[in-house]
Amino acid sequence: MAPNDKTSLPGISIQALLAIENLSVSYGHVNALKKASIEVFSGEIVVLIGANGAGKTTLLETALGINTPLTGTIRFKGNSISGVAVDRNVRAGICLVPEGRGVFASMNVLDNLLLGAHNNLKNVDKHLRRVYDWFPILNKRKDQIARTLSGGERQMLAIGRALMSSPELIMVDEPSLGLAPIVVNDIFNILRMLNREGYTILLSEQNANKALRCAHRGYVLETGTVTLSGSAQQLLNDPGVREAYLGA
Amino acid sequence: MEVFIAQVINGLSLGSIYVLLVTGFNLLLLVAMIIHFAYPQVVVFSMYITWVVLRLTGNSLLLGALAAVASSIFFNMVSAPLFQKVMKKRGEVDINSTMVLSMGIGMIITDVLSHGFNKGFPIAFPDELSGKTAILRIGLISILPGQVSSLIVGIIAVSGFFLLLYKTRAGRAFRAIAEDPNGARLVGIPLFRTGLESYALSGLLGGIIALLLAALLGSASPDLGEQVAHKVLAVSIIAGLGNLAGGLVVGLLLGILEAIVQGYLSGSWSNAIAFVIMLVVILAKPKGLFGIKL
Repeated sequence: MAPNDKTSLPGISIQALLAIENLSVSYGHVNALKKASIEVFSGEIVVLIGANGAGKTTLLETALGINTPLTGTIRFKGNSISGVAVDRNVRAGICLVPEGRGVFASMNVLDNLLLGAHNNLKNVDKHLRRVYDWFPILNKRKDQIARTLSGGERQMLAIGRALMSSPELIMVDEPSLGLAPIVVNDIFNILRMLNREGYTILLSEQNANKALRCAHRGYVLETGTVTLSGSAQQLLNDPGVREAYLGA
Repeated sequence: MEVFIAQVINGLSLGSIYVLLVTGFNLLLLVAMIIHFAYPQVVVFSMYITWVVLRLTGNSLLLGALAAVASSIFFNMVSAPLFQKVMKKRGEVDINSTMVLSMGIGMIITDVLSHGFNKGFPIAFPDELSGKTAILRIGLISILPGQVSSLIVGIIAVSGFFLLLYKTRAGRAFRAIAEDPNGARLVGIPLFRTGLESYALSGLLGGIIALLLAALLGSASPDLGEQVAHKVLAVSIIAGLGNLAGGLVVGLLLGILEAIVQGYLSGSWSNAIAFVIMLVVILAKPKGLFGIKL
């Protein structure tokens, strides 16, 4: 029985914000995801750990609505969103900070931020003020072309753009990729701060150590399958995880 | 000197028409991801529709203008599913198949115009459109109201379009898709719907261009579209394919250059000159003066 069924007692069942069940996705003959299941609850930071090609990006992009799953279900706030278009999912409260930031380099910072509000036109000014409060550097650089930003600033811009869509669930794909270690710390601090502000975060990372120290729970993805899951602490202490992902 | 001034005014009106044509062409290239080589031919088709409506309504300028805009938007929107059908890849410009389809559309239009309208003879627009009496005479050269109004409307249309592109939500989405279609998709910008908007918008531009051309030239012939199409392709290649700001500069410059050449040499040289410039630019800067933006 689905936890959101009307028959379930209020207060007893906790409905996952995002529930992915037995999700399989393939690109042509390549099976990128094989029956992967994950759940993300409101208020959590959940991390997907896995090597290159493990299916992390595919999972996030499929939840966003980019790919149509072969099998399996994706539910957001209890509603099935398999095969729903990206713009509708964004309007419903899901957004993605893409791998490599996906910032539009030829456009200025303000335009990049406003693109995030493309599907949610309500309270744009309020969201913009909030983003500027959290990231004063973006306010300072708002007329600057995004090409001129540093890697960390671009990541902030990409996160700020995601916030402009007034999301509930922010999916962040490999935020630490290509950033200096000190900047990586800043970014993880930002994600923690956003989580305290009430945003639910689903993260994919190769930098397992830092990500697990930031997250509440985690899943390990290997060649498209979830092989392990547990609290961040459990995963940090797991010998297999330590050997494969923490270099211990 | 008088000839020069008059021809610069002429050149600016012609140039603003080139700018609009190149902009519509680039918009389709960047957002709908098609090479619509025959876009100017669709514009000329709208000129013919306008001509028919003007004749049927006893030269009602309002209805003629409406016919130009409506027919241009209609033809653009009708061609959208055709282009979408032949495109193999949605995420990038599918040059081969869309260009072949576009050239086919252009040939059909040229044939229809030369068999279906006015027995293939050039059509003449009524004086109401371009104005009968010169408002300005400089020596032997007279400037007709049509030339002035097409210059003014051309400037308004160009600035309006660039304002839309750089200051509005739709324009931001266009530019985002132009820069990185995949990234735009990840942000939640619907590629297909925004692509349709670009067909409609270039249709609207096309309607305005049809009116401006009618007012400026006072006539049209079945092969006008093809001539203009060559010129537009030259402008967009000289500026750099998909480069909107570059198209603005080069379009205006070519218009002025052409008018000046017409003022001092024979008008038939203007085509050759445009293409000589194009060849020189391609040899010196293969990506155009301002760089390809694709």
